[in-house]
Amino acid sequence: MALYLYLDNRTWVHRLHPVVRLLSMVAFFVAAFVVERPQWLLPLVGLLAVLLLWTGSVQNVHRLRYLFVLIFAMTFLIWTWGYGPDGQPPLVRWGPLRISRTAPLFALGMAIKLNVFLAAGTLFLSTTRVEEFADALNRVGIPYKIGFTMTLAFRLVPVFLDAAATVVQAQRCRGLEFDRGSLWQRLRRYIPVIVPVFMGGLRRADNMAMALEARGFQSSSPRTSLYESRFGMLDTLALLFLLAMTAGYLGLWWNGALSFSRVSP
Amino acid sequence: MATGEGRHEGAAAIRLRGVSFTYEEGTAPALHDVSLTIHRGEFAVVMGATGAGKTTLAKLLNRTIPAFQLGHLTGEIEILGRRFDQQRVADVADTVGLVSQDFEAQLFATNVAQEVAFGMEQRGIARDIMMRRLGDALAKVGLQGFEPRDPATLSGGEKQRLAIAAVLALQPRVLVFDEPTTDLDPQGKVEIFDVLAAMRRQGFTIVLIEHEIGAAERADRLVLMADGRIVADDHPDRLLPEVERLEELGVRPADLDRLNRALRSPTRATTVSEAEALVRSRYRVNPALPPGQAEDGEPLLSVESLSYVYEGGREALADVSLRVRTGEFLALIGQNGSGKTTLAKHLNGLLHPTRGCVRVRGQDVRQLPLHQVAADVGYVFQNPDHQIFAATVRDEVAFGLRNFGVAEPEMERRIRMALDAVGLVGLEQEDPFLFGKGQRERLAVASLLALEPRVLILDEPTTGLDYREQRRMMDLLRALHQRGMTVIVITHSPWVVAEYAQRGILMQGGRIVCDGPLRELLAREELLARCHFRVPDITRLGLRLGFTPLTLDEFVAALDPV
Repeated sequence: MALYLYLDNRTWVHRLHPVVRLLSMVAFFVAAFVVERPQWLLPLVGLLAVLLLWTGSVQNVHRLRYLFVLIFAMTFLIWTWGYGPDGQPPLVRWGPLRISRTAPLFALGMAIKLNVFLAAGTLFLSTTRVEEFADALNRVGIPYKIGFTMTLAFRLVPVFLDAAATVVQAQRCRGLEFDRGSLWQRLRRYIPVIVPVFMGGLRRADNMAMALEARGFQSSSPRTSLYESRFGMLDTLALLFLLAMTAGYLGLWWNGALSFSRVSP
Repeated sequence: MATGEGRHEGAAAIRLRGVSFTYEEGTAPALHDVSLTIHRGEFAVVMGATGAGKTTLAKLLNRTIPAFQLGHLTGEIEILGRRFDQQRVADVADTVGLVSQDFEAQLFATNVAQEVAFGMEQRGIARDIMMRRLGDALAKVGLQGFEPRDPATLSGGEKQRLAIAAVLALQPRVLVFDEPTTDLDPQGKVEIFDVLAAMRRQGFTIVLIEHEIGAAERADRLVLMADGRIVADDHPDRLLPEVERLEELGVRPADLDRLNRALRSPTRATTVSEAEALVRSRYRVNPALPPGQAEDGEPLLSVESLSYVYEGGREALADVSLRVRTGEFLALIGQNGSGKTTLAKHLNGLLHPTRGCVRVRGQDVRQLPLHQVAADVGYVFQNPDHQIFAATVRDEVAFGLRNFGVAEPEMERRIRMALDAVGLVGLEQEDPFLFGKGQRERLAVASLLALEPRVLILDEPTTGLDYREQRRMMDLLRALHQRGMTVIVITHSPWVVAEYAQRGILMQGGRIVCDGPLRELLAREELLARCHFRVPDITRLGLRLGFTPLTLDEFVAALDPV
């Protein structure tokens, strides 16, 4: 099972400095965050679509398609009902439930917004190695050890899932059934799975710590990096564009153009 | 670090003087007054039973002990004329490289290039030098062109070679290998030994800890350990013929040395050809082998044109058919990825066929719930750690019985029966997590035996055990078999197959390529060699003399003095 989304496609997005890639994800997050009116999200959606297609990352969007659909549907439903009164006569009145006039548009905006977050994250992880991610975090001031721990987590999750699958099989061979009895009984049945996975994890962590040191981790000398990333012309252009985009959205937000007008009830 | 380069020519690479070490939680010393000198460029093999102190010795050399595992250390350790007493493990990395058995835990990166570069990045090595060393290290282990690959997609042998390359990138001159091939299939083992031979030619000092005697045959030095002490340290040519002593130390002697000893041969035959000449000059071969056992048991398992396709579309089994009768002792052999485990998991309903059918006592496995099949067909997974979870031995064995609703007096009887069979009676209240690998493996067997299955399937039950524990495990299975249990063993170990199984099934690429009485299977030396299964020397010698002995005793019994 592969957990990484990274695709070794080497487009110009892949060649951007990892910090710039990190900042572009942040820029998309910020820009989308301040928007309420769905039409203002469309430029971001369009730009992301182009970038996803360009970098071949649509393949990952396809992998995560259920997540996209699920998030979209759930968000839309929740906010349609949960928006609350907007001071105008409601669109639908159904017993105690009311759907206000702004609600569907607002919910649509929320749904698109969360998918923009997800798409921006997908784009970032599809074009950035976990190691580059750690490196980028390091350059924006987050200690190397924290970034590295994160890369290890990426590496370990599939290992743990694999071990858990084996343990489940081994215990089923001893007559363990998961789909019987009350919830509490079912939860208790996971103990024979959790203990071996956890103990295996501890052993693995111990061995890894030793192997890491044996490979020079925490050596006293300053670090270098195999993929030296140099800040180039392309990075400057990308940064300028991102800056303009973010500034534009923040400006529009400041003027209230992005939000629905709310009348207090 | 160029410290030793040139200046210490001819000097010792490793020198231990009176080294003792006691683990913090231990009472007896793990190493006791060990003195050892290994010269530059030497290839030393260290052998001994589990618990003899081999791994402790290896970890002392790169300071993992006492840096990670605390304890009381006395004595002096010198590597290339330097002492590293106060240094961190990371700072020893370019003097001593340690490669351990658990290759999965030695890989952290998302591609091969990053994996090898990791240590150099930590060291702050300039990028152009890094690129050159990266290429060098990958070339040394034969992984050129693998740079963009995700380590998770490599085979076991490739992963271990990558772990070696990653250690080599820091250019240590002393390399310590702690059972690097234990978790590999025969193909993987060959790959690692090839790499070791190449390293040796390039002048590295190598310390190799191994269970299999084959590795020692080509070494410059053989160090034998027992109970934390070095009990012998000599050229292998002088130690390998000491068959009884090796066995006493928990090391399986080479077939030909056992033969030399049994025949009281004045000269030491070290190749099958030499042994052949020796035997022909002194004996007439008169094979009187016991006839193969007739298959008269009741049909128990039947597999009909089974195919299995994994989710990703890879075909793991293609048109496999097979019948197993009550009372058989069957060995399933073949390279990793040949489909052995996938086939075995079909036999107890863990996997369901994509095409074809599996029947247990005439009933289609798909029609039965897994726990019902599991009661008939016990499956012991390869790693006992994947199943042991209880706080006491008794609870571990009782777990399955509770799942099947076995009530008290009967439960007690079954627990006792199972623990008695595996030799763990009296340890009911012990914590299995404190057991060694051999005991844990036997506990895993007991926990399935208690369910009183008709068939017991074991996936590599001897992997990671020393010779004594391997014998014990296999003798246990033989005893169960003699009491009527049908046994199916997945294994890579040629002598285990030859000495214990009655029928062999050879798999390759998801198909059964040979299925028959063991004697017939082992006679097909070339076919087996193509599947990286090396027929035991004693059988190979027999084949040259016109028969197929499975054990030394059978071979010797067939000889009449001229």
